[in-house]
Amino acid sequence: MTAVIEARGLRKLYHTSPALEDVSFTVGSGRIVGLIGPNGAGKTTALKAILGLTHFQGELRVLGLDPRSRRDELMRDVSFIADVAVLPRWLRVSQALDLVEGVHTRFNRARATEFLRRTDIRMRSRVRELSKGMVTQLHLALTLAIDARLLVLDEPTLGLDLLYRRQFYDTLLNDYFDKERTILVTTHQVEEIENLFTDVLFIKHGRVVLDSSVESLADRYLQVTVTPDNVTRAQAFLPFYEREVFGRVVMIFEGRTAAELAPLGELRTPSIADLFVAKMEKAA
Amino acid sequence: MSTPTAIPTTARAPALKTWIATNPHLRAFHTLVRREFWEHRSLWVAPLSVMGLLLIGALWTHGAMQIDPTDSGEWLDPQIKSILFALAQWGLTIPHYLVMILVLNFYLLDCLYAERKDRSILFWKSLPVGDGLTVAAKMFVGLVVVPFGTYVIALVTDLLFTAIWDLRAVLSHAPELVLWDTVAFLKTQALMFLGLVISILWYAPFVGILVVASAGLRRNPLMWVTVVPLLIIIFERVTFGTHHLSSLLAYRGDGIWGDLHLEPAVIGSLTGVGRAAIASIPSIYDRVHVGPAFTNIDLWLGVLFTAACGFAAARLRRYRDDT
Repeated sequence: MTAVIEARGLRKLYHTSPALEDVSFTVGSGRIVGLIGPNGAGKTTALKAILGLTHFQGELRVLGLDPRSRRDELMRDVSFIADVAVLPRWLRVSQALDLVEGVHTRFNRARATEFLRRTDIRMRSRVRELSKGMVTQLHLALTLAIDARLLVLDEPTLGLDLLYRRQFYDTLLNDYFDKERTILVTTHQVEEIENLFTDVLFIKHGRVVLDSSVESLADRYLQVTVTPDNVTRAQAFLPFYEREVFGRVVMIFEGRTAAELAPLGELRTPSIADLFVAKMEKAA
Repeated sequence: MSTPTAIPTTARAPALKTWIATNPHLRAFHTLVRREFWEHRSLWVAPLSVMGLLLIGALWTHGAMQIDPTDSGEWLDPQIKSILFALAQWGLTIPHYLVMILVLNFYLLDCLYAERKDRSILFWKSLPVGDGLTVAAKMFVGLVVVPFGTYVIALVTDLLFTAIWDLRAVLSHAPELVLWDTVAFLKTQALMFLGLVISILWYAPFVGILVVASAGLRRNPLMWVTVVPLLIIIFERVTFGTHHLSSLLAYRGDGIWGDLHLEPAVIGSLTGVGRAAIASIPSIYDRVHVGPAFTNIDLWLGVLFTAACGFAAARLRRYRDDT
């Protein structure tokens, strides 16, 4: 696996409070990585570091380049959508195409135009005249038409309705993603897109609390809906998280085998959303 | 044997376009300059509006002005008509340049501030365009495109205005106050062009300061570049009894024009007409000293300072993290 991002010991202070503390991770080529954490956890700071938009300490290589010193070069191979509200409101759709075509050698105008043809967006419209969902479609059309190796998305569907959110990720998967490309995405709506991820990185208080491929999560974590008479027995296996749901206790275990836990209740692999909640509450 | 042929004029524009299109850096720069005119429409709407208003003015006024019967003979002298023609050419440019100064001030203060204010900087920074190139495009617009564009628009206004006046004088069979004089026209345009080049170089530091303010200030850049210097001047005067800043600003305001010997040139060009005295712009052109202006070290230090401001603005844009 070729590393697209290699971070070692990233640190970043905002005034006196740490935004990133000794953050290390590796993102391989052809992966879709979810960088997940609550508000203020350091997700956006980590993305800004990757994009060379902020100062930080530590070692970071993105596509083999240090984003601090070689940002301009790096941005030829990296695209990003910060959030839906950053397209200039005065920009016309046709101007947006002219603009990206003018400055980006890897922009395929025909592809963006074709994508826009499938929407209700008109070429003469200004961004301020478009709905939030349409602005996202426009931004996505511009971004997906760039032949980039790394796509960074920071809460790209924040504030959109379900229809647009679903459409956004469907387009991303069907029209864009392939094994040559890597996507790094932060989101709050974990449940909706957890099937999209190949890897997850949970971040809390500026620290990585989980870094795993989705396929190995099943080997590491098990969730048991424990029957009432087995609660004490189950607790002996040291669950790292437990909660009560409709009178039954749900426990999540790390490093236990299915054979050990099966007698305690109903067994399944925890969803990423469940794991996220468990990890966040544990790290609190 | 083939003989070399001149490239037809019509072929030059596509050649330039092809050259820009095939050079990625030039193409990016060209796109960034176009972007400024999309975003800041006042840059082209304002000069065209001034032109429109002046041309409407030409329709409402006329060249056959009321002439005092006691000295009408002198006013109708072809030489005086030529001087008046040159003066009219010069006078018509004044509204253009006043509006340009106003528009440029607001543009330069806004050009790097607006993108931070509405967070669109995150979109701009998602494109493979360096901060240096972005700032360079904005300064190029402020120092080259808009001033020379204004010069061209003012020139076209001059020509159209004169044509409208001439036509109206012919149609009304009235005596014209101005008379087309090609030499006077060329000398007037040359003097104004020269004045424009010297103005751009001399006043460039103001452009630099405005760009740095736009890139660096968190809020209200207009207040910072107007009220704050004023307060410093007052504070300096009250506390130390000195006036270094006001002197510096005054020198940067008109310090270069003495080098051209402009005042003696104007006085020397005055021509008496009846009870009035009018300055002959072609004569001023013959009398000004251009060399000393370009050998004034302060002019080039100002240019260096402007370049340093551009560099500082690019660094501020690069490392500013307030999104």
